[in-house]
Amino acid sequence: MTYDAVIIGGGHNGLVCAAYLAKAGKKVVVLEKRHVLGGAAVTEELYPGFKFSVASYVVSLFRPGIIRDLDLPAHGLEMIPLETAYSPRLGDQGLCRWVDPERTRREIARFSVKDSEVYPEFGLAMTKMARFAKGVIDAPAPDPASLKPSELMELWRFSDELRQADPESLYMHLKLFTMSSADLLDEWFESDVLKAPMSVSGIIGTYLGVRSPGTAYVLLHHYMGEIDGAFRSWGYSKGGTGGVSMACARAAQSFGAEIRTQAPVDHVLLENGRARGVVLDNGDEVRAKTVISNCDPNLTFLGLVGEENLDPEFATAIRRYKLRGSSGKVNLAVDRLPVFPGREGSAHLRGDIAIAPGTEYLERAYDEAKYGDYSSKPYLNVVIPSVIDPSVAPPGKHVISIFVQYAPYHIKEGADRWPEKREAFGDTVVKTLAEYCPGLEESILYRQVLTPWDLEKQFGLTEGNIFQGELSLEQLLFQRPTAGWARYKTPVTNLWMCGSGTHPGGGIMGASGRLAALALLESEEL
Amino acid sequence: MSDEHRRTLVGERWDAVVIGGGHNGLVTATLLARSGARTLLLEARDQLGGLAAGEEFHPGYRRLGVADDLSQFRPWVAERLKLGSFGLELETEWAPIFSPAAAGDGDGLLLARDPRDTDGELGNDAEGYADYRDFFARLAPFARKALDRVPVDVSGLKLADLWTLGGTALALRMLGRRDMMELFRIGPMCVADWLRERFGNDRLNALLAAPAVYGGFTGPWSPGTNANLLLHECFATPGVKGGGPALITALDAAARAAGVEIRTGTRAHRLAIDGEGVKSVELADGEVLETRLVAAACSPKRLFLDLVPRELLSLRLEHGITHFRARGTTAKIHLALTDYPAFTCRPKLRPEHVRIAEGIDPLERAFDPVKYRRFGSDLALDLRVPSLRQPELAPDGHHVASIGVHFVPYDLDGGWSDESRSALLETVLQRLEVYAPEVRALVAGTEVLTPLDLETRYGLSGGQIHHGEHGLDQIFVRPTPECARYATPIDGLYVCGGGSYPGGGITGAPGALAAERILSDR
Repeated sequence: MTYDAVIIGGGHNGLVCAAYLAKAGKKVVVLEKRHVLGGAAVTEELYPGFKFSVASYVVSLFRPGIIRDLDLPAHGLEMIPLETAYSPRLGDQGLCRWVDPERTRREIARFSVKDSEVYPEFGLAMTKMARFAKGVIDAPAPDPASLKPSELMELWRFSDELRQADPESLYMHLKLFTMSSADLLDEWFESDVLKAPMSVSGIIGTYLGVRSPGTAYVLLHHYMGEIDGAFRSWGYSKGGTGGVSMACARAAQSFGAEIRTQAPVDHVLLENGRARGVVLDNGDEVRAKTVISNCDPNLTFLGLVGEENLDPEFATAIRRYKLRGSSGKVNLAVDRLPVFPGREGSAHLRGDIAIAPGTEYLERAYDEAKYGDYSSKPYLNVVIPSVIDPSVAPPGKHVISIFVQYAPYHIKEGADRWPEKREAFGDTVVKTLAEYCPGLEESILYRQVLTPWDLEKQFGLTEGNIFQGELSLEQLLFQRPTAGWARYKTPVTNLWMCGSGTHPGGGIMGASGRLAALALLESEEL
Repeated sequence: MSDEHRRTLVGERWDAVVIGGGHNGLVTATLLARSGARTLLLEARDQLGGLAAGEEFHPGYRRLGVADDLSQFRPWVAERLKLGSFGLELETEWAPIFSPAAAGDGDGLLLARDPRDTDGELGNDAEGYADYRDFFARLAPFARKALDRVPVDVSGLKLADLWTLGGTALALRMLGRRDMMELFRIGPMCVADWLRERFGNDRLNALLAAPAVYGGFTGPWSPGTNANLLLHECFATPGVKGGGPALITALDAAARAAGVEIRTGTRAHRLAIDGEGVKSVELADGEVLETRLVAAACSPKRLFLDLVPRELLSLRLEHGITHFRARGTTAKIHLALTDYPAFTCRPKLRPEHVRIAEGIDPLERAFDPVKYRRFGSDLALDLRVPSLRQPELAPDGHHVASIGVHFVPYDLDGGWSDESRSALLETVLQRLEVYAPEVRALVAGTEVLTPLDLETRYGLSGGQIHHGEHGLDQIFVRPTPECARYATPIDGLYVCGGGSYPGGGITGAPGALAAERILSDR
């Protein structure tokens, strides 16, 4: 039997892509190597009664258009907004930012009255910028090299939009694209207690420090989060991040898509240089008119297609595509809620918790990683989803998700030595967090440690890069993954891409999957 | 009534006053005077030239300027000012650059500019290096044509600006699709990534990467630094015969011939501004110089935060200038040497230009401590020995070494003192001894200029040798959007120094482009 399309990888983008294609009447099959769907957006019950968002843990950039088009709420998607951003400090109650602006103002004013007044202004400025950037992530990347009239029109429209923008916004954009997040925040604020936890949104998933130019742009992503069309909202998917993937899967199935788990693909089946389907690990062939890879560009071309089947120049470009993973993950099941001295109750735990006590602390964490060590004092982004979603843990007990940076894939001993360092790395993370909430160690029932090496092995993310490729300026827009191939089509006839390694990039957005499906439907290749 | 007093009361009227007698100030003043303006140039120090000025730093030993890299000086500026007729000669021979190795670590690298002259130094990277030079041979004409002009006004593009931009886009397209796309890709990168794609020899990588991070608050791993490398390579020439002092001599002569009146040892104290814009420049002794046109070659921070009355700045401009990043990271050390110090790895070689950084990571490690207001033990050194070409700088057989020391913080933890200054000198000597063990015994005299000294002596705010860091956001809109095209919101006040496009270093470009803008406004 021949399908219209076979999709390699049941991550959220692959599922979104499948759903759009199936909705358009195409015969689609999704092949996932693991026993669960979702890729890095997955929920697993690793310990009885505890449901972990194993890898990706918060949702913000998921495109509202997709939720509407695929009617995801009807397929079980339910979002719960995060309510706080808490940064504990040693010997002090730390800083907590709340949904209530007045409460936030009072908290910031404890450290700087000036900052407390500027804070809402900064939010407004960034939100304004984010609206502008939103147009960019909801459409295919413009192609500056093309001389086709339609492309030139698109470029003109783009430049016209720039022309219409007020000079202030233009200048702000220039700065956002080129400055470091620490420098940008220095322009607005004086208190490091506020700046440090704000600056980290600029480094998540990058192999850069808060003082590295270019990180300011990633800050913007923080202000692009949308839930129900409201900006600046981050949230959990009820029941865990896998809920997003499962809703997409159910939508795809409702349109007639077929989904197979435990179906690892060995390679893309090529005949006369054209993709004709895939061959599974067990030797089975799945033939299709089109093959769509939800894997990262490295795995897709150097792994599944094979360098010998590629144009050498293209192969070089793919080899140069940078995927240096820099983060790890520690998941804990605990028998009680962690206690941060100076704060009672759990109100301050209804959102994210950042261990980011100072700009220097963060920069030092990066300096260690540059030379191939994991940070001895890492930056931690902690969430306890069970506080606002009791469905993920037994009564009174909790799941703690700790995102850790930096854990470079390329440690100086060599990446394949990570398994030997895994538990020591986990200890460092727990110890770091326990400094801020004494007693944490004793409350742990179960611990899972994921190094970047594990992320590669378990989720197929090359070098453990959580975004399927670094989100650096030279790997964005018309250059993601490489110049000339940013429209989901690849140089291998009938092979397409739909993962985060394509425009507009990583995070649980679904945008790549949707744009790939639309491009493919328009191409008449199906 | 004394002469002084009479001048205070009456004042003199000038068509134009230029503040700062560095090379950019001299260029602007000369071009204004040539167009017929009665022009006065004020220099706070007793000698002209700013960072390009030569000085005797130890009895019998003269050094070239603090800024001793003349490779970025624009030949078109020399042509526009006809500096040839005032004795300026452009250099035609490229000096090779030497990266010495420590004992037991090979014989270092001597890199000639022309790939045909590298004499087997590069091994497997020879072909890559030829490609590298080819790439710049294609790119440089485009860059020189497209970039050395008054920046377009992005805040309301006019037809002429669109025409300019369109021309640039077309020229970019003419590079060919492959080079154009490569440029988009590599422009925002960090210099480490791009060079490592090309070369396996990390010593070569560091040698090429160094100028992209000198003077900045960035290491080779910092994104955006590759743009600095591209600009540096595109505009590089063999320099000027006799270096900075020769350039200043020619500029001084050209300025005087054009009728510029030059006053050294004269420090501007304040600008007076009325409803029509600039009214006069006031000196410290109370003298008032009336003028409706001031061009300031000093750093933007000094101009707007010291000279312009604060109440006349818009909040936005004050904020922009305050946050114009100008963190100094360069110290300068000059050594009077009784002989040329032999490098262990090649004792017979006497290179004129030496760069010490063994690789990309060591260069990055040299940068790291600056973020914590310290300097490390393995500083990156850029050493020149001008006395090889100009023996008159030192007694017979003796030499002068001019060392750019990177990275050294302006705001050193604990502050700069005689002790910390000695510690810096000691660190540099120890670093040199690794490669040239005899150097210490040859030192007859020293001059140590910390970033703080550079501020005190040369008026460089924050000790920043470029008047402001060369971050991507600070090159093309420099120093702030309202002053990015040399004019400022204050009528009659212009900026014309390294704090303006296209930035610091001895280029002459901001001075010449500012004059062009001023004259087109008149």
